[in-house]
Amino acid sequence: MIIFLLLPALLLLLVVFVVPLFRYAWLSFHADSVITGLIAIPNGGANWLRLLQDLRYWQDLGQTLRFAGVSVGLELILALCIALLLDQRWRGRDVVRTLALIPWALPTTVMALGWRWIFNTPYGPIDHFTKIAGIGSLNILGDPNFAWIATVWADVWKTTPFAALILLAGLQTIPADLYEALRLEGGNALICLRRITLPLLRPYILLALLFRLAQSFGVFDLIQVLTGGGPASTTESIALYAYWNALRFLDFGYSSTIIMASFVLISLICVIAWIGLQVLIPTHPKSRGVIEL
Amino acid sequence: MTLQIQNLGRHVGQQWIVRHLNLHVEDGECVALVGPSGCGKSSTLRLIAGLDPVSEGEIILNQKNISHVSAAQRAVGMVFQSYALLPHLSVFANLELGLRVRGVRPSDRQQRIQAMLELVQLQDRADVLPAQLSGGQRQRVALARALLRDPDVYLLDEPMSNLDAQLREELRPELRRLVLDRQKPVIHVTHDQHEAMAIADRIAVLHSGRIQQVATPTELYHLPETLFIAKFIGRPQINCLRPKDGVITAVRPESLFFAKEGLPCKLMSREWLGSSQLLYLESPEGSLRLSCSTSVDIPESLIVSWHRSDEHYFDEDSGRRL
Repeated sequence: MIIFLLLPALLLLLVVFVVPLFRYAWLSFHADSVITGLIAIPNGGANWLRLLQDLRYWQDLGQTLRFAGVSVGLELILALCIALLLDQRWRGRDVVRTLALIPWALPTTVMALGWRWIFNTPYGPIDHFTKIAGIGSLNILGDPNFAWIATVWADVWKTTPFAALILLAGLQTIPADLYEALRLEGGNALICLRRITLPLLRPYILLALLFRLAQSFGVFDLIQVLTGGGPASTTESIALYAYWNALRFLDFGYSSTIIMASFVLISLICVIAWIGLQVLIPTHPKSRGVIEL
Repeated sequence: MTLQIQNLGRHVGQQWIVRHLNLHVEDGECVALVGPSGCGKSSTLRLIAGLDPVSEGEIILNQKNISHVSAAQRAVGMVFQSYALLPHLSVFANLELGLRVRGVRPSDRQQRIQAMLELVQLQDRADVLPAQLSGGQRQRVALARALLRDPDVYLLDEPMSNLDAQLREELRPELRRLVLDRQKPVIHVTHDQHEAMAIADRIAVLHSGRIQQVATPTELYHLPETLFIAKFIGRPQINCLRPKDGVITAVRPESLFFAKEGLPCKLMSREWLGSSQLLYLESPEGSLRLSCSTSVDIPESLIVSWHRSDEHYFDEDSGRRL
């Protein structure tokens, strides 16, 4: 029975994934906070009703989607360019390949602290340069218009190497003679990119996209360290809001509701992203069918 | 319309991969490039296709020097050893891509592909992905793509080496019918000398990046210019006797026969090949291979001989024919 061979892995999944998920789902229909003496009391759908009317939640959701969408989009485009470049043969490529991984290898907290200093007003280098350039002090982390861009910037800086690595691995699976055959047929680099690279890279793009979407939708550490959700909670993400509810307000019932809602949402987004990519880069001109990884 | 290669060479760093290569291929003529692996035969093909840069010499196609013309502009039809079919496109789409890239009108494309699929007998497999085809069918799709290109020269890079021996034999006449009928120069790279002899009008034997001899299959077999060619062409391999005064005498296994007087031998082992048998003998002149009919009884005392006229002589140092 093959199921017995899978049992250890399944048990692990059960403990760290399925059990907490059901616990959250269960908690989201209970009041469980300091007021109830941290005892779970069923409250019907009161938590969910509160979520629907919670403007701060909706604001955070919008900000999280903006953060995830912009940073993952930028990351994939940049990662594709970097991967294509690192796939070519040139002197010093191996050194660059190694160096390119450094941002990804840094702990998020450490690199977020670094960026906090870089963006710092009035002591950071960016502030120094904008003053020299005559733009004056921008107060990047203190301005709602700039603070979210700073979070996107730091996220792109850190995770592009990861996406590039996945895409590079994908590029290396494409046989060189496919390109050569198309070149002999009269195809240029652009045609090769569109007809060979992108379709054959699709599983890898999908993999990077799903990984990164799920990860950036649940972003916590980067924002917690870089802005703490400020200014005026304009960079606050859903994960940050759930954290505040659970560990600052000790309202575990409502925090579970936020987590469950975002779980459902990220699952939906991943499915939409998956189907969307099937349509964008069809494997076969005649088929629009969903093809598995 | 001919292909002329003059003093062609390519080096990577200090190493010459191909050098001083001269070859002339007429329209409708098929020249096979044979040689051991790493001899530069595939590299030569890549130079002609424009996939690798030419370091020296010239490639002239139809009186035009194409040595430094890009691969896309060369009008070369190539069949790859791996077939190089796009795995995510159907047979039809694979064939269509090249036509589309070259700006052929959609209605024209449809018609030409249909005709081509009929020619290679794959009309009912148009919507199938390459992975669902057999090796022989994939090879025919790759061939169809090269034919649709309507090139000025055909380059076949070990097109059949991924197929089993029986299929290869079946496809040979088809390859001849499809490609040689086009009346264009054909260069066929192969490591299989049987294939080369069966298909090619002339064979060029490459060794260490240089052509050793270009000749018809019969010439190559009967009058090899070097010891290397004598050993490379013809199976079972030619026998080389102990060198005397700097001269190596070589005799083909099928030229040996049993006799009353001659070289006394000891039978070491025997291979039965169906229509013939191969004997491994040990003699004072070294080990010998003898090929004879299966109806022949192996005598108790093995004494073998051969006619003087069947001997080939080579210089021991240079390997040149004497």
